[in-house]
Amino acid sequence: MKNILLQLVLLVVLFFALWLGLSKIDWMELLNVNYLTSKTQLKLGELILDQIKNSGEEYHNPKVTLPLDSILTAICISNAIDRSQVQLHVIKSEEVNAFALPNHQLVIYSGLILETRNEAELSGVICHEIAHMELDHVMKKLIKEVGISVLISTTTGNSGSNLMVNILKTLSSTAYDRDLEGDADIRAVDYLLRANIDPIPFARFLRRIPESKSAIDQHLTWMSTHPDAEERAAYIIEFVGEAHGEYQPILSPVTWQNLQHQLK
Amino acid sequence: MNTITHFYYSPNEYESEKASNSYLMSLIAVIAGLPFPIINLIATFAFYLGNRKGTYFVRWHCTQALLSQFSLLLMNSVAFWWSVTVLFGSENLSNSFIAYLITVFLFNLTEFAATIYSTINTRKGLHVKWWFYGDLTNMICSS
Repeated sequence: MKNILLQLVLLVVLFFALWLGLSKIDWMELLNVNYLTSKTQLKLGELILDQIKNSGEEYHNPKVTLPLDSILTAICISNAIDRSQVQLHVIKSEEVNAFALPNHQLVIYSGLILETRNEAELSGVICHEIAHMELDHVMKKLIKEVGISVLISTTTGNSGSNLMVNILKTLSSTAYDRDLEGDADIRAVDYLLRANIDPIPFARFLRRIPESKSAIDQHLTWMSTHPDAEERAAYIIEFVGEAHGEYQPILSPVTWQNLQHQLK
Repeated sequence: MNTITHFYYSPNEYESEKASNSYLMSLIAVIAGLPFPIINLIATFAFYLGNRKGTYFVRWHCTQALLSQFSLLLMNSVAFWWSVTVLFGSENLSNSFIAYLITVFLFNLTEFAATIYSTINTRKGLHVKWWFYGDLTNMICSS
């Protein structure tokens, strides 16, 4: 019996020693995994963005882009996120929608900015999408819904434009898994608190939009694709709890009003 | 790792074939069951149930084949579910994950080679005792 136990321990030790030893080798570097992933993301991001630009005009007006850039920069600095990696695109559309694309590209439709009542609500949505980027949800979702082989074929030019439309649809009009949405919400609240932005307006935004508009309103994409808004809002409020920081606005009230005015 | 020892008696032709088949069953199941590790265990367990009232030599080798599948089932199941969460869930591809897959592959390869060796030798009527699993089988399988 003693002999058997000793052999069992040896077998287990051998297994873990081999695993630990092999873990010391940088397989990601050796197999070029990071390089291939970033190259695929770069190409995919470019292709999808071209598709978006075909369907709606992008704002280049500094009165629109600068306030949003200020919010994004403040969030990135407070959370040690490389701002230069995140590319912001504001697209003219009535659709209340915002989404993250591969290669750290953040797309916000003007309809969503107009639907928010203050910068804290908009910051909440921005933080939620940045969280999806930082948690690597974007590629995971694409791999799950579209398939790795199809994604690679799009970047090598062996696919039709219909496929790009489907990929864009996947990223902009279908929700992430419940768990991923929950993770992104919690990370978003963390980002907001670190940036001294009140997270409660974000929760209120989640709660308010489905109440204020008809559920069949076709322009409310962000809300209809992010289900269980009430539950999520309650969860965010509970998560924030007693943590009331000294919240500071990033934009002046005049700048916020000008931003809304430019988009109307 | 594998040693050929004397059994308590000399098995006849029929017993050698049955004992050899218990290993052969797990080899076939490896091919059919990939990537689902449970298939392998089910196939070996079904063969074990069919032969549990067989002669001691047959029972002994069926038990050894079954026991070896248990430990593989554990490590292969972890590899399978870890791969699923990397592909579809929240886990990322990492050095630890790749190292785990290689480790599991090496253990499977060793087990595969040992199984082929045992299939051939038990068919000749030789008693093949595996390191650890042989002693464990001696403990479990009574004559």
